[in-house]
Amino acid sequence: MYKRLYKYKDLFYILIWRELLIRYKQTAIGVLWALIQPLSMMLLFVLVFGIILNIDTGGIPKPLFYFVGLVPWTFFSSSISASIDSFVAHRNLITKIYFPRELLIFSRIMIFLADFTITFILLALLIMIYRIPFSMDMLWAVPLTILLLLFTTSVGMILATINVYYRDVRLASAFLLRLWFFATPVFYSIDTLPIKFKLILFLNPLTYVVENLRRVLLENRGIVGWQFMIETVFVLFLFILSYRLFIRLERSFADVI
Amino acid sequence: MSSDLSIKFDRVSKKFSKSAIQHGLLRDDLVMFFKRNKNVDCLKTDEFWALDQISFKIPKGSSIGLYGPNGSGKSTLLKLIANVISPTTGKITINGRIAPLIELGAGFHPDLNGIENIYMNGAILGMTIGEIKSKIERIIEYSELSDFISTPVKKYSSGMKLRLGFSIAIHSEADIFLFDEILSVGDEAFQEKSLNSIQKLLKNKKTLFIVSHNKKRLTGMADKILILEKGKIKWNIFD
Repeated sequence: MYKRLYKYKDLFYILIWRELLIRYKQTAIGVLWALIQPLSMMLLFVLVFGIILNIDTGGIPKPLFYFVGLVPWTFFSSSISASIDSFVAHRNLITKIYFPRELLIFSRIMIFLADFTITFILLALLIMIYRIPFSMDMLWAVPLTILLLLFTTSVGMILATINVYYRDVRLASAFLLRLWFFATPVFYSIDTLPIKFKLILFLNPLTYVVENLRRVLLENRGIVGWQFMIETVFVLFLFILSYRLFIRLERSFADVI
Repeated sequence: MSSDLSIKFDRVSKKFSKSAIQHGLLRDDLVMFFKRNKNVDCLKTDEFWALDQISFKIPKGSSIGLYGPNGSGKSTLLKLIANVISPTTGKITINGRIAPLIELGAGFHPDLNGIENIYMNGAILGMTIGEIKSKIERIIEYSELSDFISTPVKKYSSGMKLRLGFSIAIHSEADIFLFDEILSVGDEAFQEKSLNSIQKLLKNKKTLFIVSHNKKRLTGMADKILILEKGKIKWNIFD
């Protein structure tokens, strides 16, 4: 993978730069859009789940509880819906000239990683406003983000690849993401469940990431080492698998796209 | 492969399907995906060989003309060299960087301006950001688009797009250039200029592959002409 991509690293930078250019051309408030979606969702959640349904957040301030879930979720869902089209939308390029096509997906996801970083800074501000004391355990957010990034890239790559062959993926994605949202503890917590159930639920790496971001950022607790190891191996395995699937099918992209 | 060869085709065949839907039943596709020995040699209904057992070797610095009626497989051959599509059977070896001038300007992004598209296209052609920066003045000048270079490409005429695409490709440091029916880029003056540039590429020991319907043009530029007919090949030294 490294050998394959190194030669094209400049193309990667230019693709990122191009995505940014296209995205903010003719917009009035530009980057602020990255903040508006998770912030407004958070307020809505506080109202619906916090005040109307009164779901217990285990003593964590409600805005923080929801926002920590929404930041990774927003990254995941927007990356996925943007990735699915990335091959089909570049049909003109793919059928004319060779380049490592996965860069189309990687560069799109990088844009959302930038959004993620911006919202994460806002999250850090909220944490300070609520006077949650800093602890070294909070630094676990970095490896958790890397897990999230790897997982998102794998899913995006699989779906975008299959979408070249079966456009059903595009049609199914909105519905799939909605299901996935409820399967991820964004507005609830699985913290009180017994460990047996947790391990099954951790098969959804998003569940793992959200639950553990709450642990390290809001509850001043560390991460369970062996759980992290298993999750990392699982996500890495998925990444390698999706990359191999992509390489295998990429050869005939230009024939079918 | 010895280093003075630039392109080598070893019994290369390419199968195409005429049907609109490019996948079979989900079940069949899954079976095919996991099957090791695929029976690629037999044709299913509505499949055909666009290229059939093509073999040739092209030394560095030669210029090859590709001639043949519509549907004889010329574009397929160029796309195989460009690594855009892969052969159904056989092996292709390429030595060097390729600049395909196939449907020039098709890869431009309509919302981006000329300069932004130069960076984008240049990088796809394998140029580094530094290379593009150092050449951008020349690329713009050559394309004769200085006045429009900050205009979004969607407002360009098709001729302008062709000129920009041609200019970027010709300034890339590629070793192999593929030209598909684009010897009619722009007006007469620009055509003259592009032909001169192609001659210059030849002098610099670049390998050229030129597709054209114009036999006279081809004889002027190619040292060898490859004639394709229904996916089969015959060599010809033009006289």
